[in-house]
Amino acid sequence: MKKLFLCTCNKTLDKKLDFLRIEKELKGVFDSVQIHDALCLKEGLAFLESEVSNEDSVVIGACTSQIIGMPMSEKLKTESVSFVPLREHVAWVHSNDLKGASNKAVVLLCDAAIRVDHMDSPTVVENHMEKEVLIVGGGMCGLKVAADLLHLGIDVTILEPCPWDDTAYVEAGQFMADKNTLTKMVKELVSATASATTICCTITGLEGRAGKYGVSLACLDGKVSTIDCGSIVIATNVEQKPPPMAKKLLYGKSDRTILLGNLATLVEKQGPKDVRTVLVAVDPTHHLSAVEGGYLLRVVTEAAKKGNTVIVAHSNIRTDDENIYRAARESGVIFVRGTLEKAKDTKDGMVCRLENTLESQIREFVVDLLVLQTMTRPRGDTAELARIAGLSLDEDGFITTRYSKNKPVQTSKRGIYIAGNGKMPMSIDDAIASAGNAALEVFKDIRTTTRRKGWIPIIDEEQCDVCEACIEACPNDALRLVDGKVTHISQHCEFCGICVSVCPTRAIEFQSHSKESWFARLEALAENHKKMEGEKPFTFVYACSECANASIDLAGFTGKGYPTGTYVIQFPCAGMVSPIEILKGLAVGAERIVVAHCPPGGCHHQTGDHMAELVVKFTQDMLRSIGQDPERVKATYMIAALPNKMQEEVAHRG
Amino acid sequence: MDKRDQLIQKLRNIAVKTPENDVEVPEKVEGFGTIEYGAQTCSACKKCILACEPAALDMDPTMNLPDYLKATIPHDGFRSKNRESLVTLLQGLREEGNVVAISVPDGLPGYGSIAWAADRCIACDKCIEACLEDCLTLEKTYKLPEIIGEVKPPPSITVSKDWEPFILCFVCWECSHAAADLAGLMHLHYPTNIRTIRIPCLGAVEPMHIMTALENGVDGVLLTGCLLSECHYGGDSPKAGNFMQYDFVKFWMDVLEEIGMGGRIHIDSASAAMGIKFADIVKEFTEKIQNLGPSPIRGKLEVR
Repeated sequence: MKKLFLCTCNKTLDKKLDFLRIEKELKGVFDSVQIHDALCLKEGLAFLESEVSNEDSVVIGACTSQIIGMPMSEKLKTESVSFVPLREHVAWVHSNDLKGASNKAVVLLCDAAIRVDHMDSPTVVENHMEKEVLIVGGGMCGLKVAADLLHLGIDVTILEPCPWDDTAYVEAGQFMADKNTLTKMVKELVSATASATTICCTITGLEGRAGKYGVSLACLDGKVSTIDCGSIVIATNVEQKPPPMAKKLLYGKSDRTILLGNLATLVEKQGPKDVRTVLVAVDPTHHLSAVEGGYLLRVVTEAAKKGNTVIVAHSNIRTDDENIYRAARESGVIFVRGTLEKAKDTKDGMVCRLENTLESQIREFVVDLLVLQTMTRPRGDTAELARIAGLSLDEDGFITTRYSKNKPVQTSKRGIYIAGNGKMPMSIDDAIASAGNAALEVFKDIRTTTRRKGWIPIIDEEQCDVCEACIEACPNDALRLVDGKVTHISQHCEFCGICVSVCPTRAIEFQSHSKESWFARLEALAENHKKMEGEKPFTFVYACSECANASIDLAGFTGKGYPTGTYVIQFPCAGMVSPIEILKGLAVGAERIVVAHCPPGGCHHQTGDHMAELVVKFTQDMLRSIGQDPERVKATYMIAALPNKMQEEVAHRG
Repeated sequence: MDKRDQLIQKLRNIAVKTPENDVEVPEKVEGFGTIEYGAQTCSACKKCILACEPAALDMDPTMNLPDYLKATIPHDGFRSKNRESLVTLLQGLREEGNVVAISVPDGLPGYGSIAWAADRCIACDKCIEACLEDCLTLEKTYKLPEIIGEVKPPPSITVSKDWEPFILCFVCWECSHAAADLAGLMHLHYPTNIRTIRIPCLGAVEPMHIMTALENGVDGVLLTGCLLSECHYGGDSPKAGNFMQYDFVKFWMDVLEEIGMGGRIHIDSASAAMGIKFADIVKEFTEKIQNLGPSPIRGKLEVR
């Protein structure tokens, strides 16, 4: 039996939707149509419970929150229920158009009736984790991760290329915090990690997958070994280097040009009479991070406090804390805008030529010391480590994480985490916090035998040409070539469906989202729209189920209305949309197709936003070539923070 | 440089006019042909590229829309179902106007076309065997204009009065050589313009030999062997040396015609008992070359 349940949301929606007409229109589509006032409340759930049996397929037209599904999950299997967010996608955004809104509700509910026919039961993916954790790098963050995990009763192995002692920890972390804090922290961490296994090795190879990695190691004494571990935490350090302009400013040639780190040491040892004039230069070509900026400001403040005359030549200094800047000014540091173009070593001092291109001013300073800001870069072997582990790097050479907002310590590979400085320069507090976060994520993985449920791609070997397009497209390394066949490693799968968008042969299909189901749905949507609305133009919005869907829901919550005739169709990820779905949408008569994805670089599955943009651009090229208007198709990002976006995208027509 | 490259280089060397037409490849001639490619069914799986030994195939990051729009979908559809859908949808949405190929954006896998290099292909059909989508076929034509390209005519030569043609004659060491011997025994006179080269069988004459001769300014190349169906190395088999060579010579005659060296190659047969015929063949061919004049290549050679 196919049953439809509609919720009036405590009798608020019946002013916006004509429930009786909807019921009448859908009599032929569903075996039964029932209207309730609060399906999400106790009595509503009890009503559903009594009405639904295991053999039924059910469509629920209510709100977007889907809180109805959760308590009903025993009876309403994922594959037999389909939700239509009538409240956010219809009633609240078309509040002045009772007829249009009701028509749209009918069209969407018919679509849900077809959708529920094509649904598959989700696949359960179990991930068994080996309990051992490998921590790469035994600096402050490595120790913090180790200490936290040991505290939680998990065995860790710390990998460090060379032996360290307490002073080395303090020296290496010096620039991120003051000595006293560091010394105290190191003492605590070192004693907390006394029981950890520490080996002096470098990684030479990595195989396996999350839960069971095999790591090949080369030790200092030339021995080669392998260890097994369930997860890996990368806690590599940063290095400080002279900036690009160092050579031009006589660094290494003249004793008067030094680095910021050297200045800090000098100031520390400086006697009361030993004052100097110091010019600190910031390299405009180096993108200064907030940590570097903060460090620079702290050092110049100290130098000024000791009686030195300190001039800072800068174009932009970033810091997390405005107070450090104020403190620097108050201690007498002089800030001058401009770029240091030239330096000449004379017997009176270093003659520095400063150009301020903005005000076209040229000034000369004669100083005792020219201090260059230091650049913070990842350790030299980070790139090699990333290559072995199959991780990507950003333009500065730091390891990129999966999704900076929601997954700040997860790398693009499951089971590999990053703690602290390996992803960007951080202050010691941030780094330690990130290490604690990484330790927790690892613990979560180990404690729960992760059992995830979701729709996965199914590969038809007969149909497959082994063109490897899907392997190339998968952002999670979940598709691999094994014995000449494309094989799905479900433990790595994120259920995004990006793989199916590139398949030329239809050898890979996503559960519940087969091409056939898209064709059936799009055709029915168009047909029902024409039945209800006649010649009125309509738009399909292919929205990813993450940011874009949240934005559209929020448009509903905040009452940002848009015209009826706009049908939102959810995809697991915008990267799953291929030119076929777009062209099919146009072929069935849609006036416009909007593909809505997460903001650039913010895809929850890493590459979906980029793929969606590529696919849409490619489709536009096709349309241009066959004489169609490419502007009928558009890719755009939508984000929950911008509820207006939906209104902007579909408000105007044609 | 492999053998095919050398041969094509020699063809380019002896070409004195820009070829205009494709040359038909006779039935028995293998190793020369055209790979026809239908982009519409192609899944861009690269199997053909991997199978191609002389690297004549490569990925071309374009989508061949004109092919897509011309395609007719067979009753049971393409093997690549997604391609079939794409082609059908594009055909349905097509408006008036000129359709052009478009480039595939960088970073989008699963699309693309195959580029075929005529001058590298050895028509071995390994790519066709490897193709899962039936998008490749071997056509019996040789894309000479594409392979030779633009040809600058060599400087013209002045023919001196006492010019005599220089002709190279490949004779098989079975019947034809005996025929030449017999001609001698019979004191038959034939022109002194030929130099005979004895080879085991007429089928052993490689295109490379003929082209090398022409490249070096020889005015004509004559090939004589056993009578048809009497080859000592194949008898009356259709694959017998002399029988095969007839088709090859026919092919090379057409190729030479296209590049402005027509008529300078001839194949004939004379059995051991045909001394008179051998002498006649030589006489006739020498006369023919005499009328054609010296090889235009000589102009190039003199300049060099």
